[in-house]
Parts: sequence; structure tokens; C-alpha cells
Amino acid sequence: HPWETVTTAAMQKYPNPMNPSVVGVDVLDRHVDSSGKLHSHRLLSTEWGIPSIVKSLIGTCRTKTYVQEHSVVDPVRKTMELKSSNISFTNLVSVDERLVYKPHPQEPDKTILTQEAIISVKGVSLSSYLEGLMANTISSNANKGREALEWVINRLNAEIEEFTASARGTMRNSMAAAAFVEK
Amino acid sequence: MNSVGEACTELKREYDQCFNRWFAEKFLKGENDGDPCGQLFKRYQLCVQKAIKEKDIPIEGVEFMGPSKGKTENSS
Repeated sequence: HPWETVTTAAMQKYPNPMNPSVVGVDVLDRHVDSSGKLHSHRLLSTEWGIPSIVKSLIGTCRTKTYVQEHSVVDPVRKTMELKSSNISFTNLVSVDERLVYKPHPQEPDKTILTQEAIISVKGVSLSSYLEGLMANTISSNANKGREALEWVINRLNAEIEEFTASARGTMRNSMAAAAFVEK
Repeated sequence: MNSVGEACTELKREYDQCFNRWFAEKFLKGENDGDPCGQLFKRYQLCVQKAIKEKDIPIEGVEFMGPSKGKTENSS
């Protein structure tokens, strides 16, 4: 899909069926800087489906984890960069992710996504089995992310089609009415 | 999609609709003649700030500013 389509979808990524744990999205700040780039700071709330007995023990306000996301969209150079890191009450594990969307250099109807993630435990980078496990999850999540955007793009296209169809229907009706009057 | 503050969800939806339209139809096409969603954003922001304080969400390094365009930096 062309970069504009992907970027528009990325701004409206949630909700989507591939990320059911994201339950809230809020814009904390948004502004266009002096070079014309749009900066957005967003807060994502996620709920991981913790069993209710655990919830009642630790209190429901502590079952949400939050992700802070900073995105920069440059409409002239056609790049969108997303940096996100999780905020949690325990600060035990942190995951920092960086995604960059750019138009494909050879095929302008396609977009290239590069994605990297840094996983740290209490400020020290992991290099163990756990890291491997999370890296697998993150790379399958990267695929999920692509599927999620496909889903959003299809939804946006369906909305446009619906709108066009109803506009066409309205026009047909008024044309038929005009023809009737003329007779 | 809901807001972190349940009371803010409606304000968020109104703002989101305005922003998404402006983003796709103006901003990405290089027409940046100002953000028409300023008022909606301000109302939504006030609500979100309150919710974040109430829920004690530890957000660092984010200043709560309005959608001002072309901010000048003080430090050189």
C-alpha cells in the first residue's frame, strides 16, 4: 500500500482484532514543529487478561500496563517514525520499540517498515533464553502489526465505499425525481 | 476506542474524527494551513490530564501543550 495509506491507517490503528489487549488510546500532546513535521505523544492502555482472582488481590487499577508512544510524520520526506516504550508500575521489564515507515524506493505503491525492539530488565539488556522468547514474540507481533494495518486499511476503504454508494443512491433518486418532473 | 479516562471517551471521539480527516485530507497532501481541531483538542486534553492525575499514571517527559503550530525553541 502507498505510504499515505499506511500512515493514515497507523494513526488509527486501534482498535483492531489483532491487538485485543489495547483498551485505550489517548493523545497527550500533538504539534507541528517548525520544519512541518507532526509530532504526537500518545498513551496506550493495555489489559492483559489477568485472571479475576489475581485482579481482586492486587486491585484492578494495577492490572493495566501503559505504553508511551512518540510519533513523527514528515509529509515532505514521507517518513513516519514511531518510538514506544512501556510504562509500568513495577518497571521490571521494559520494551522500547522503534518503527519507521517509508515509501518503497523502487515501487511507489508500497511501503517499507523497519522495526527494532530493545528489551531490558531493570536497565540491563537481556541476553538469555528469555530474550530469545520475547524476540520471537516481537517478530510475530511485527507480522501481526502488518496484519492489523491491513485490517484498518480495509475498514477505511469499506467506509469510503459505503459513503460513495449512499451518495450515488441519493443522486440516482434525485435524478429520477427530476426526470419525473420533466415529463 | 476508549480513552484512559472513561468520561473523556466522547470528547476523544470528536477530536479523533476531526484530526483523522485533517491528517489524511490536508496534512499528508502538504497543505498545512493550521489545525482546525484546536478547540476540540483543548477540551479533550483537560479531561485526559485530570484522568491521568487521578489514576496516578507515571508519565515522564511529556509537557501538556496545546496543538500550537511552529513552536520556536528558546535554547540555541
